[in-house]
Amino acid sequence: MAKREYIRNKEGSSISKIIVDRDLCIGAASCVTILPSTYKLDDENKAVVIDANIASDEELILAAQSCPTKAIIIIDKEGKQIYP
Amino acid sequence: MKEIKYLIIGGGIAGTTAAETIRHSDASGPIAIISEELYPVYSRVMLSKRDFYSEEWEEDKIWFRKPDWYQKENIELIVGKSAVGLDAGKKIVRLNDGNEIKYEKLLIATGSCARKWIIPGSDKKNIFTLRSLNDAKAIRERMQTAKKAVAIGGGFVSFEMCHILRQFNIDTTLVLRESYYWEPVLSEDEAVVVEEALVKNGIKILKNSEVSEVTGGEFAESIILKDGTKIDCDMIIPGIGVICSLDWLKNSGIETNKGILTNEYLETSIPDIWASGDVAEFNDLILEERVQLGNWLNAQQQGRIVGLNMAGKKESFHLVSSYSTSGFGVSICFVGDVRPETDRTMIGRGNKETKSWARLIIKDGEIIGATMINRTPELSLVSKLISTDFKISGHEKELADPNFDLKRIIV
Repeated sequence: MAKREYIRNKEGSSISKIIVDRDLCIGAASCVTILPSTYKLDDENKAVVIDANIASDEELILAAQSCPTKAIIIIDKEGKQIYP
Repeated sequence: MKEIKYLIIGGGIAGTTAAETIRHSDASGPIAIISEELYPVYSRVMLSKRDFYSEEWEEDKIWFRKPDWYQKENIELIVGKSAVGLDAGKKIVRLNDGNEIKYEKLLIATGSCARKWIIPGSDKKNIFTLRSLNDAKAIRERMQTAKKAVAIGGGFVSFEMCHILRQFNIDTTLVLRESYYWEPVLSEDEAVVVEEALVKNGIKILKNSEVSEVTGGEFAESIILKDGTKIDCDMIIPGIGVICSLDWLKNSGIETNKGILTNEYLETSIPDIWASGDVAEFNDLILEERVQLGNWLNAQQQGRIVGLNMAGKKESFHLVSSYSTSGFGVSICFVGDVRPETDRTMIGRGNKETKSWARLIIKDGEIIGATMINRTPELSLVSKLISTDFKISGHEKELADPNFDLKRIIV
C-alpha cells in the first residue's frame, strides 16, 4: 500500500494520525534526522514510524515540514489534514 | 522607492521557510521575496530523482508552495529578478532591472550555482548542468531522444543522474578525474560498493580521466580525453560541484569566504542582514567550526531559525545535518561534516559480504560526521553520537565492528 497510517493516541495531543506516502518518500531521511525517536528508514529506504506517540505535536509538524517531497501527512483529531 | 520590512533575496526553501516563519510572528509586516527563477518554491531535491523524469510524473508534485499560498500569507513574490548591489549603510538593495528596494531587515538566501565546466567546446549545445527546474526540464527533454551520455564527476548528483540515464536506456559513461568514485569523500572500500553497482547496471566508469575537449558543431558530438580517447555522445552532464555567486556583495562590506560568513544566529557581519541555506558559511556549534552545507534539510531548518531571529528572537542554529539517496540498490547517506581534512582520523565500519561500509570521521576524539553506504538505518544512531559529543576513546574496536549495535554505547 502506498500510504501507511500510524495512529496516535498521545494524551493531550491534537494529532490523531501520521501518514507516510511511500510513493512520495525518496528516503532523504530529513524526518529521521529531526525526529529519530519517531522515524526510521526501512529496508526499502522509505520512512516508517517507529513510535507515533513519543514526540510533541510541534515536533511532529516540524519533522513533516522538513520532508522535501511532502511525504508526511498529519491529521488532527477531527480528521482534518493539518499538514501539508 | 519601494520599502519592505523583511526583504528576502532567494526564493528557495531557505528564503521561503524564513518568510513563512516571520509571518507567524509578524502578521502584517511587509515581506517580499526576490527570486531569480520564475517559479514559486519547488522541491529541488526532486530534480535529481527518477520520478521527475518518468512518464507518470505529475508536474504539480514539484511545487512546494503554490502561488495562492503567497497571497494567503501576504508574502510578495517577485520572480525573474536578482540582486546586483547592496548599500548596507542606506539599507538598499539594487535589482537587475534597475529598481531599488529599501529594507529594514535583509535575508540573503541565494543558494549556490552549479560550477561551470570550462574547457574547449564546453559551450556547445547538449551540455547540461543540473541546478534549477529549467535545467532539469531541459535534461528531461533531451533524454527522450539521447542515445549516449557522458556524466562527469563523482558525487550525489552524478550518481543520481547515472541512475536516471540508465532508466532511459541511455548508454552512459562516467568520467572521473580521481582514482575512484568520489575520492576522497568516500573511502575506497565504500567507493567499491558504489562502483560495482554502477558497472553492474551498465555504466562505464573511466577513472583517472579528464576531458580535454568537446568536439562537434553546434551540438556536442564527442569528448576527447587527455590520453586521446574519443567517446561519442549526444548529451553531457558535468556534475563538478557548486559555487556561490557573491560578486554583487563585493563592495557591500559584508564578510565572505566561499559563502557569506555568519555566526550561530545566522547574522552576518553587518547588522540587520542575515544569511541562510547553501550560501551561509555559519558557525556550527555542534562541529565547533565554520561550515557551509548544501542540502535541503540544512536550508529548510536554517530558514526557520533565521525567520525566528529576523522576527525578533535570538535562537542559535543546532542541527546534525544529513542527506541520503539511493539507486541501483545502493543507499548513500552523509551525516554531519564529511570532509576528510588532515586534522581528522577515520574509522571504517564495513563488511565485504553485505556490501555495506561506513566511515566515521573523528576530530579531537569525537565523531563529527560519517559517510554510509548501505548503512542508512544507522543514521539516527550516528547522528546521536555526533550531537552528544560522544568520546570515542576506548570504543574504537566497537565502532569498527560492523556488527556491533551502536545502541549499546548510546546513553
